[in-house]
Amino acid sequence: MEELIFLYTRYVPEFIEGTKTTLWLTGISLLVGFIIGLPIALARIYGGGWIRKLVIGYVEVFRGTPLLVQLFIIYYGLPEFGITLSQTASAIVSLGLNSAAYQAEYFRGAIQAIDSGQIIAARAVGMSHIKAIRYVVLPQAFRLVIPAWSNEAIGLLKASAVVFLIAMPDLMAKAKIIAGRYFSPIESYLAVAVAYILLVLFLSIFLSFVERRVKIPGLEIETAR
Amino acid sequence: MKAPIIKAEGIYKAYGEVEVLKGVSLNVNESEVVVIIGPSGTGKSTLLRCLNLLIKPDRGRIWLNDIEISAPYFNSNRVREQVGMVFQDFNLFNHLTALDNISIALRKVLHMKVAEAKERSLQELNNVNLLDKKDLYPSQLSGGQKQRVAIARALALDPQVMLFDEPTSALDPELIGEVLEAMKTLAEKGMTMIVVTHEMGFAREVANRIIFMEHGNIVEEGSPNEMFLHPQILRTREFLWKITELYGKHENK
Amino acid sequence: MSQNLLILINLIPLLLKGAVVSVEVATSSLVIGLFIGLFVGLGRIYGSKVISWFAILYITVIRATPPIVSLFVLYFVISRYVNLPPLLAGILALGISSGAYQSEIMRSAIESVGQSQMLAARAVGMSRIQAITNIILPQAFRLAIPPWSNEAAQMLKNSSLVYALSIPEILRQAQYVSATTLKPFLAFGAAAVIYFILNFGINRGLDSLEKKVKIPAQESVYSISKSRTSLVS
Repeated sequence: MEELIFLYTRYVPEFIEGTKTTLWLTGISLLVGFIIGLPIALARIYGGGWIRKLVIGYVEVFRGTPLLVQLFIIYYGLPEFGITLSQTASAIVSLGLNSAAYQAEYFRGAIQAIDSGQIIAARAVGMSHIKAIRYVVLPQAFRLVIPAWSNEAIGLLKASAVVFLIAMPDLMAKAKIIAGRYFSPIESYLAVAVAYILLVLFLSIFLSFVERRVKIPGLEIETAR
Repeated sequence: MKAPIIKAEGIYKAYGEVEVLKGVSLNVNESEVVVIIGPSGTGKSTLLRCLNLLIKPDRGRIWLNDIEISAPYFNSNRVREQVGMVFQDFNLFNHLTALDNISIALRKVLHMKVAEAKERSLQELNNVNLLDKKDLYPSQLSGGQKQRVAIARALALDPQVMLFDEPTSALDPELIGEVLEAMKTLAEKGMTMIVVTHEMGFAREVANRIIFMEHGNIVEEGSPNEMFLHPQILRTREFLWKITELYGKHENK
Repeated sequence: MSQNLLILINLIPLLLKGAVVSVEVATSSLVIGLFIGLFVGLGRIYGSKVISWFAILYITVIRATPPIVSLFVLYFVISRYVNLPPLLAGILALGISSGAYQSEIMRSAIESVGQSQMLAARAVGMSRIQAITNIILPQAFRLAIPPWSNEAAQMLKNSSLVYALSIPEILRQAQYVSATTLKPFLAFGAAAVIYFILNFGINRGLDSLEKKVKIPAQESVYSISKSRTSLVS
């Protein structure tokens, strides 16, 4: 136990560095996932023919294969075609594309959970289909999707840990370094595990707080129990 | 005079601050049909569930055939072989056919052989006129059919006493009749029954004794004649008047 | 193009060897997780306060930790105290991790079955254990299949993590192939395809299982959203 505390105090700067990397990596990838994911969800619901098929294929591929494999393909495989991305870029791209697939499904669920009556009512007051989606459906969908989206944020934070395998200096990478110097893998990885648990905890609390602030009474997805 | 089949003394039950039963005592004799009436949430269901030990009373004692079943180390599972219960929401086992719903207790609790259990179950199912539905699942049965299967399930164990907890409250009006008929037949065969219900027609016709409960206490009890024609206590009169006004039309055929 | 095809044909056996290992890892840890999950899930619902508390602690800690981190920690802890080959240690580590998620699936399913079924079972004289075994679990099992198939698919993907322990599953093999043929995209791409096919197979297989054991005329009340962490918290 004392070794654990010693570890923490001695290697605080490394921990902070690793945490910072993990956090901004997660944040940016989440954003990328959002920017790609939302249009994908819309394309899946409202798009026609081949667009829909393409999008479904995208989602199936990125959710049906391991993140690690996607990471390797992007980091090691793309250079074969002349696209050489740095570790950081590769990490962001693969985490982002992967997250987009999951986010797309959550958005789709939330949007489809909104009554078709809403669109009919919107059209009845003269809005175009696009306006109806923009001003009536999406605002409600955002509230509905928050629990699932929070889940994805936390999930992405955890999933990001694998990027150390392409030498990205995140928390896990620091653990490996410390394990090398300190000779005791158990304590090092345990320390990092605790760090991740704390991060997840804080993120959860923060997201619950946000969820409560934007809540509209009566607008919730019924999780059938 | 034979001792009462069920005897309960001073049953007290509270959930946190809320006192549901405030010291209820009652005796039920063999082959007697006792109907308990009263406003919702006054402890009627709780009392019933104390009688077969599904709920443990905080205070009070209960005897079944002079054996104290409320004693601390008494095996409550055995009690339920002697005291059957029918619920408001039927609570049939969703993953089993009607036949299996009945036979499972025979096999697992009474340890009957499979063939014997099946025969017994078919008999019970026949008694409630649902033999042709034996291979259907609960979700494929109507409410009235479900409740009759539930009655058969409870009867299969050959209990001495049957407890009915608002057996028709969850049924569509036109299905209530078939369940009440089944219960009436049971009473005529001499089964000891304790029934919580709002069905005043049934109470008047079949009950030997009616108990009016409110706020966790027995307010008044007596024969149907006494209760319906000469209720002594004001509150009883009030309640019966309101109820028969509401339900009276149902049995004034 | 034909050169690529040739390479592909040569590397497929190697990748398939890796695939066998991946499937081994995935199924073994899934099964271990199932036993742990059942045990912990039942302990959480029906156990005493102490047991329940430990269950919650275990579940919360594992679920808050990235799978690769818990894999490493458990792997090194197991290796220190028990002399297991890396493959088994890795499987055990993944299994312990999966147990936490599976216990939540169990818990959800059992709670969906509902209190009244337990009440009815007790009312015909069954003991608690009889009620759980004969009435609750058979129904919970049906309800649990969709989220469980999600977990199975997740386990297949998680099996790729043992790459970091140098266990020769698909990704390791792919890397070897990539290094020797200098065709990383082909190698890792092929690995991805194999994973995809396996994943598809799992989903299909479990879907048909669900149909087979379905209770007639009853809808699956449990609605899942296939989340990354295999459970919406």
